Amino acid sequence: MSSLIRCDGLTKQFGSKTALQQVSFELQQGDTAALIGPNGAGKTTLFSILCGYLPATGGQAQLLGHRAGSSALFGRIGALPQDAQFDPGFSIGEQLQFYGRLQGLSSKAAVAETARVLTLVGLAAEAGHKAAALSHGMRKRAAIAQAFIGRPELVLLDEPTAGLDPANALAIRQLISQLSGQVSFLISSHNIFELEQLCNKVLYLDKGLLQASETAAVQSDAPHYLTLQLEQESSDSLLQAIKLLPGLISVQQPQKKQLVLRVQRDLADSFDISLLQCLAAHGWRYRSLTQGQTLEQKLFDIA
Amino acid sequence: MSNPLMLLQHCWLYAGFELRRLWQTRPGLMTLAATAVIWALLFRYAIVPAADLIASRGFVNLISSLFGNAGLQQLSSWPTPELAVYWFFSLLLLPLFSLFFTANQLCSDLERGTLRFLSLRSSRSSIVLGRFAGQMLVQASLILLTLLATLVLSAWRAGGLSADMLNAMAVIFVNLLLVLLPFTALMSVFSALVRTAKLAVSLAIVSLGLCFGLLSWFIFYFPDFLFLLGYLPGTQVIQLLALHGWQTLQHAALPLGQSVVLLALATLAVKRRAL
Repeated sequence: MSSLIRCDGLTKQFGSKTALQQVSFELQQGDTAALIGPNGAGKTTLFSILCGYLPATGGQAQLLGHRAGSSALFGRIGALPQDAQFDPGFSIGEQLQFYGRLQGLSSKAAVAETARVLTLVGLAAEAGHKAAALSHGMRKRAAIAQAFIGRPELVLLDEPTAGLDPANALAIRQLISQLSGQVSFLISSHNIFELEQLCNKVLYLDKGLLQASETAAVQSDAPHYLTLQLEQESSDSLLQAIKLLPGLISVQQPQKKQLVLRVQRDLADSFDISLLQCLAAHGWRYRSLTQGQTLEQKLFDIA
Repeated sequence: MSNPLMLLQHCWLYAGFELRRLWQTRPGLMTLAATAVIWALLFRYAIVPAADLIASRGFVNLISSLFGNAGLQQLSSWPTPELAVYWFFSLLLLPLFSLFFTANQLCSDLERGTLRFLSLRSSRSSIVLGRFAGQMLVQASLILLTLLATLVLSAWRAGGLSADMLNAMAVIFVNLLLVLLPFTALMSVFSALVRTAKLAVSLAIVSLGLCFGLLSWFIFYFPDFLFLLGYLPGTQVIQLLALHGWQTLQHAALPLGQSVVLLALATLAVKRRAL
């Protein structure tokens, strides 16, 4: 399988401060990967190097087999850079058409492509407006639309739903989910729950170091963990009853209404049925029972 | 598509987009309005009374003191006094206006982050060269408009259009573009270094002044290096005023060379900076 993104010993220093330190990872075609980490972890620096906005101090970054920033990548990658704004002199539609022309589309094709990408983000009616006439959320969606011009193979999105209202954030998540078969994504975000829904691979950065590189396969192949979300706060009697179930190794309570159960792998198939029967017998209502740990639990355990 | 071809195609697209900015956006229309006001004043007080102005004692004294009798003679060799006055004022004023008009080639886009959208689709070299070409197209269209107005006035005064007038118009147009090339390229450099157009203009004026001051000081002690002053942008303007017709092109190499060097510097500055 060909490599989508390959970083080898990527290092970036700003004076004496090291923003990225020997970061190495590889993503494959078709991956939808998440780039997460706390503020100042180096996410935007890594994102900027991958987009060619920033040169690396050391190491190499390759996208689709080409050096980051190479002219061979024009039109093949799309990106939503953090805080980038449109030219206030022209309408959104005119600018997207211009971007399409730069990507080699004919005038007619650029017009059609602009209409397509604006429709994707629900802004078809706003094509004639300038950026200043749009709300923050609309500007963000227009910036996401520009990332999809020319059907790029890889799209890098930096905080795609930050600043969007829940309905629009959901629409963007649905869009990414809908396109994820045709396009590969690398999404940088603080919203772990969002990334959990969208991504099959997770890169966790902290203090410039790649702390973990998880794949969904590992997460879904971990049936020895169950996460139980309750309707009410758990009680001692509930915990005692669960602890008596055969196959349970340990139980943790990360939140008042949430339990994470570690179960012996060979008994995992029957354990969830026993658990549900136990809950029903005692009249304890639950909201969800999911296989494995949440991404948050996994990452912060690892971290 | 090969890289040189892609570079040319992208430069053309950027240049066309800048031309659209002049004619289709509010800031562009404001630039047109400002140009119209300046040239209306020049028309009213210099070009319309050109014949009287050239004959006036003050103007004659000014030209004689700057270029001697030869300069005055050359100025009167232009086919009409209107074109002679246009040539004189344009050569002196346009480089200064150019510093202001072309100051925002890159800085606003750098500040807003718009260059991040553009650099995903085109090389940084094509952004710099395309914007420069766009600014030259914009200035060319403004010069052409004012020059056409002057030509119409000349033809009306002379009772008809002659081949000499058209030739003079072409000479003036080509020379003015050559004069503006290094100033526009200079603003490419400064607009790549700072984040506002105002700062770019200030930096350009201070740098040019400082260069001139330091060179003058150096030449005071080492007069053999007087020739260095001739390499500053715009120094050929004084020599051009003492010439007319296509002989003016003997000074074309210097602004072309200066522009190439300055554009190389601007490209290097944009390539090296973080977007």
